[in-house]
Amino acid sequence: VGKKVQAIYLWWHKPVINKELLQSLPNLKVIANSGVGMDHLDLKLVASFGVKMANAPRAVSSSTADTGMALLLASARRLVEVRNISISPSMEYCEADILGVKIAGATLGIIGMGSIGYKIALRAKAFEMNILYHNRTQRKAQEEQAVSATYCEKIDSLLQQADFVMVVVSLTPQTHKLIGKRELELMKPTATLINISRGAVVDQEALVAALQTGVIRAAALDVTSPEPLPRDHPLLKLKNIIITPHLGIKTDKASYMITEEAVENILAALNGLPLSSEVLPS
Amino acid sequence: MWYHRPAINEELLQSLPDLKIVASSGVGIDHLDLKLLSSYGVKVANTPFIVSTDTADLGMALLLASSRRLVEGHEMAVSPDTGYFPADWLGVQVSGATLGIVGMGTIGYKVAERAKAFEMKILYHNRNQRKKEEESAIGAVYCKKIDDLLRQSDFVLLAVNLTPQTCKLIGKTELELMKPTATLINISRGLVVDQDALVEALQNKVIKAAALDVTYPEPLPRDHPLLKLKNVIITPHIGSATKKTRWVMMEEMAESIEAGLAGLPIPREVL
Repeated sequence: VGKKVQAIYLWWHKPVINKELLQSLPNLKVIANSGVGMDHLDLKLVASFGVKMANAPRAVSSSTADTGMALLLASARRLVEVRNISISPSMEYCEADILGVKIAGATLGIIGMGSIGYKIALRAKAFEMNILYHNRTQRKAQEEQAVSATYCEKIDSLLQQADFVMVVVSLTPQTHKLIGKRELELMKPTATLINISRGAVVDQEALVAALQTGVIRAAALDVTSPEPLPRDHPLLKLKNIIITPHLGIKTDKASYMITEEAVENILAALNGLPLSSEVLPS
Repeated sequence: MWYHRPAINEELLQSLPDLKIVASSGVGIDHLDLKLLSSYGVKVANTPFIVSTDTADLGMALLLASSRRLVEGHEMAVSPDTGYFPADWLGVQVSGATLGIVGMGTIGYKVAERAKAFEMKILYHNRNQRKKEEESAIGAVYCKKIDDLLRQSDFVLLAVNLTPQTCKLIGKTELELMKPTATLINISRGLVVDQDALVEALQNKVIKAAALDVTYPEPLPRDHPLLKLKNVIITPHIGSATKKTRWVMMEEMAESIEAGLAGLPIPREVL
């Protein structure tokens, strides 16, 4: 059977791609990933077997940006807390329990201004937010103007000014634990951290401490390390946190589009044509 | 007056012969008998515009939370029983979907501005059509008949004020016109929706889900079926509940009261 396999469509990191698997599939030509993140793949190893790799960048950006905004709004307006009040047996609460943070006029700092980060900026602008961003490279002036975003060459400057910090980078050795104790302490005590990138981009222990001691106000995480967290993890016990089960691209439409993109890439590889979203080991 | 208290009736007005002004928090005045107050020579003021942005934001927050199953997802993520996240657990895409806004006043328009940034297609129904420039700015298409809006929308958002004409505006007929995959979002008043019809529609999958910041009454009795449905999110009327906005509302109410007591023109007077 192994000899017949020419393509693998990876759905949520399965099957696990290791040396044994690659050796057992001598005719494998391409691995297409369901999503944009490739941090779970050993790109060099796969390439050494002459196997091409592709991700699905186009399909993910809108639904992931939507998730980022959903988390920002839910956190700012305390949606989970107030909904629990609405359905609780006693319905007793004081005004202070339900008051949220006004979004219009607040400052959003986007860390990572790729396609997803940019779509977030487009959405946040409509909510009358001030937008700062930090990125490896500055965007073109027209792109900045279209979303009224101000570049922060130093991440510190963004962290000090933002009311909401949204992390939208890809996971690389450089972005591993990008947000740690130092970064959290630079943030305002009234600020919220939103992570829609990868759990490992944030130093989770530092985050727990920061949330417990009021170094930052709250966090909303679509991604953690691992997923799901162990059931006794301190993050699960905090009041000022929203955690969602990596639902960034989990919509009917996005799943469909991701699969379409993957199939395109697979067919191209099998026919010896260029792949539209090939990922090369850097 | 705050959240409809105290209740303004004939007894109260008779017992307060020197009452000059009632300042009501928020924009809705459906809880006030304006004719009765006028007959006692009492003036009325509200806080109409300051609430618009936060209420529009909440409308979007509910739309996103409902479509992406945010509350359910959070519960799964923190539940002691969760071992893994199922691969086939999906929500509904917001970007590119069709939003139908019923009531295109200040709040409705702000919702439209936000929805446009999500690449949503926007339909609206209103007593009057908006100006062409206003429509083009957000790419909104007017539906003179509410039926057309209901048939085509993936999300139906109610942003009307409560009047005798809008009471039970959304009933069994309207819910049946909606797509079975559609979500109803209510940020107006509980009475705009026929609640019993809504419960039935949700139980029988006539529509997919609902997200309500307002109900009738508020709060609902603790055994009400809406509280038990999985496909419903209810929030405790928090449309304007942000620190900044509440602060401004208080300032505006105080300003109106001072003007009323001094016999000066009253800012935000309701006539």
